[in-house]
Amino acid sequence: MPFSWAQLKSIQSEQLLPKDAVTVFSINNISLLQKISMDELVNYEFMSEVHQELFDGSTSGKTLKDAGLDFNQRLNLFYGKTNTHELTGFTFGVSDRKALFEVFDDFQNLESDIPGLAVYGTFFNNLMIKDNVALLIRIEPTMEHIDEVTDSIWFARGNEMPFDFFDDQISPDPENILDEETFEDNPNTNIFPEATENPLVKNYYELRDSVQMMLQEAALSAVIQEIFVQGANLYNTDTRFAAQLAHQAEGAFYLDNARNLDKSQGLWYFQTVLPTLYKDIQELYAGNVILGDLFLRDNQIDFEVDALYGPALGSIYQQMNDARFDKRVLDYIPASSPAYFTYNINLQQAYDQAFKVLLPLLSDEKNAQIAMNVLTLELLNEFINKEALFDTYKGSMFGTFNGIKKVTTKKIEFTYDEESFEYEERETETQTDMPIFTMGFSTARPDIPELILKHMGRLTSRIQRFDNYWRIDNAILDAAPLYIINTGKLLILSNDEDLARFHSKGYGKEALGNKASKKAMRSGFMYGKVDVTQTLDRFPTEVLTPRNAEIVASLKGKSGQLELTSTETDAAHTRFKLSYHFEGQEAPGKHFLDLVNSLYVIYTLNP
Amino acid sequence: MKILFSFLLLLSLVSCIEISDDITIKNDGSGTFRYKINLSESLVKVNSILALDSLNGKPVPSKAEISAKINEFVRLLDAQSGITNVLVEENYTDYIFKFSCDFTNIKQLQDAIRLTIEQITNEKYPVGAEQYWLSWDGTTLVRTIPAYFTQQIKNFKFEDDEKLKTGVYASITRFERPVASFENKLGALSKNQMSVLVRTNTFDLKNNQHLLDNTIVLTPR
Repeated sequence: MPFSWAQLKSIQSEQLLPKDAVTVFSINNISLLQKISMDELVNYEFMSEVHQELFDGSTSGKTLKDAGLDFNQRLNLFYGKTNTHELTGFTFGVSDRKALFEVFDDFQNLESDIPGLAVYGTFFNNLMIKDNVALLIRIEPTMEHIDEVTDSIWFARGNEMPFDFFDDQISPDPENILDEETFEDNPNTNIFPEATENPLVKNYYELRDSVQMMLQEAALSAVIQEIFVQGANLYNTDTRFAAQLAHQAEGAFYLDNARNLDKSQGLWYFQTVLPTLYKDIQELYAGNVILGDLFLRDNQIDFEVDALYGPALGSIYQQMNDARFDKRVLDYIPASSPAYFTYNINLQQAYDQAFKVLLPLLSDEKNAQIAMNVLTLELLNEFINKEALFDTYKGSMFGTFNGIKKVTTKKIEFTYDEESFEYEERETETQTDMPIFTMGFSTARPDIPELILKHMGRLTSRIQRFDNYWRIDNAILDAAPLYIINTGKLLILSNDEDLARFHSKGYGKEALGNKASKKAMRSGFMYGKVDVTQTLDRFPTEVLTPRNAEIVASLKGKSGQLELTSTETDAAHTRFKLSYHFEGQEAPGKHFLDLVNSLYVIYTLNP
Repeated sequence: MKILFSFLLLLSLVSCIEISDDITIKNDGSGTFRYKINLSESLVKVNSILALDSLNGKPVPSKAEISAKINEFVRLLDAQSGITNVLVEENYTDYIFKFSCDFTNIKQLQDAIRLTIEQITNEKYPVGAEQYWLSWDGTTLVRTIPAYFTQQIKNFKFEDDEKLKTGVYASITRFERPVASFENKLGALSKNQMSVLVRTNTFDLKNNQHLLDNTIVLTPR
């Protein structure tokens, strides 16, 4: 039976979510956000794709409440990517259209052939309102798809390669070809094609612009048809998402990892060259969905996540997480540590299971390179002493960030004599700020690292043996020493001299207290704690990739503690809980949005 | 150009930097120009940056790329008229870079540097910028910082301006006969009376790019 809008007694905002949405944040109790100003809201990254027209002064001094939003409905932020386009936006309830358009004042009314549906548009975004629900959406065709369609039309019209003109005027240095600055900054190079003599015939770039616009319109039209005519939306098509929204939580989170994988550009090689292997990987990831609830409690926001996976992947995770916690690692985490984690896996069981699951997939592939890799893997599996390997690194590990400390490094100073200002160089010591990290893991074969260090020490004077530790000079960034402590049960690597010299047997009373230790021990396969102020505000974001820097930047300036626990693991799922405990008088809605924003950045930038 | 930009970006992130420019002018107007950059105090920072693929979205040049660019600069400068004995020392252990060249006269030195910069960056010297930053009439030397560099310093957003206070810029001018007077109040005269040293920190220099300007008058021959 065809869908009829009238069948639905009362449509809700979540029923306007496109079915291609891969990541969704759904904020249930949006009355929490009543006092958030629109200006603050548009500054969040999750608004960045759709906020251009909100950033023109129309939001000044207004809150969400002034914007005509219906606080009895959910606010749903979404992001999705298909093979042809990306889509982003949000859906919400509308209580006052007049107030809404005082904020969304740049939208023009567009023609709609769907009864009852009002469609508005700006240069970038579209807004659709039906009854008392609205969808604000931006759709961008992917560059690959635009190129593919443009090339197809271009060649079908009998044109030559559009890039031939580069050859005559630009050196064939590949670096220069990619150097857009060189092309665009120099008006004299004149390398882009002139408009054709016939104004009705488009050159390549004019054609490409037209294709982009047509694809955008076609994709938007398809989404409108799906949602408002066929009634196909994420809520209807994925029962797991619908079930998640039934939870009594302030917010819900949904990420379909299987579809993410399907659209991942990083796997294009498998998709095109090894299609059967790609299909196997898809099957492996089938059912891989991350579902989460956000709860706002007293001065705390809990993000409870259930990572679901299919049987094959689940069997590997189950074996991997079947491990006993090594309590000895706790002696090396100081109670004052601003950030630390423990990670507890059974590497040998995980290896055995992965070998059992993955090798048959690879073995079926009729590809010379894969066949050689499979042979290598099988031979290594036979010849290597796996027991020694997995006893050396048993899979339980910990890491700490102990703040920034001054470390002594050498520097060269220029000096000038008074007689003639002749210059000399003098080597002196200087103090440099360095983040102090410690990482360690449990081992049942302390003799193996000892053997390696002993022989390496014979080769270079940079490796020296002291009573309780080894020191490798200039190992950290060619400037500071690395200390290696081999306790016989743990192998610890650190750039913390204090740890090596005075705490090689553990921090004793200065180590984590009983309460914190118990939390780490009882926390499934991983546990992490971060003092946001002490850690992230001091983290040098410029040394990160732009993506990761954006994630850290989204958390900067916040106060409180982040705690990650994993509570349950079996073949079907793993449960995680991320708690954000905040201090101060700031509105909980603000903290809530801060956390939603950070999670949005993490999940949309690093899918 | 990208590599040059990335190298400048790298310098902007390194606050503890020591720079020395050193010019010797003989009575006949010829001389030697030396330039030294010392990043040894920022060794950790430089190494951590060079270990990255990209920084603030821009590719980080490798040591080989930096070296290639420096050598290209040397090659281009060496080909300019009036310039000889171009030497460069690159120390990638302590990150100290030293450059020197001899010149026939001050005008040729300045023209050679300007032309080399234009060739290496594929950019015209900024229109309106003063082409000459040194002038010498046989008795009086007037020196400023080239407009091209003051513009670059102005435009750069340094990571931590406060830390620039630990950076040092030393400007030395040497002659074959004693100095009679000089104008810069930060300047000092060597005991042999034939060299003037002006020293400041990089923070002050960033805020006032004319701090090193000087007019030096020599005793008559």
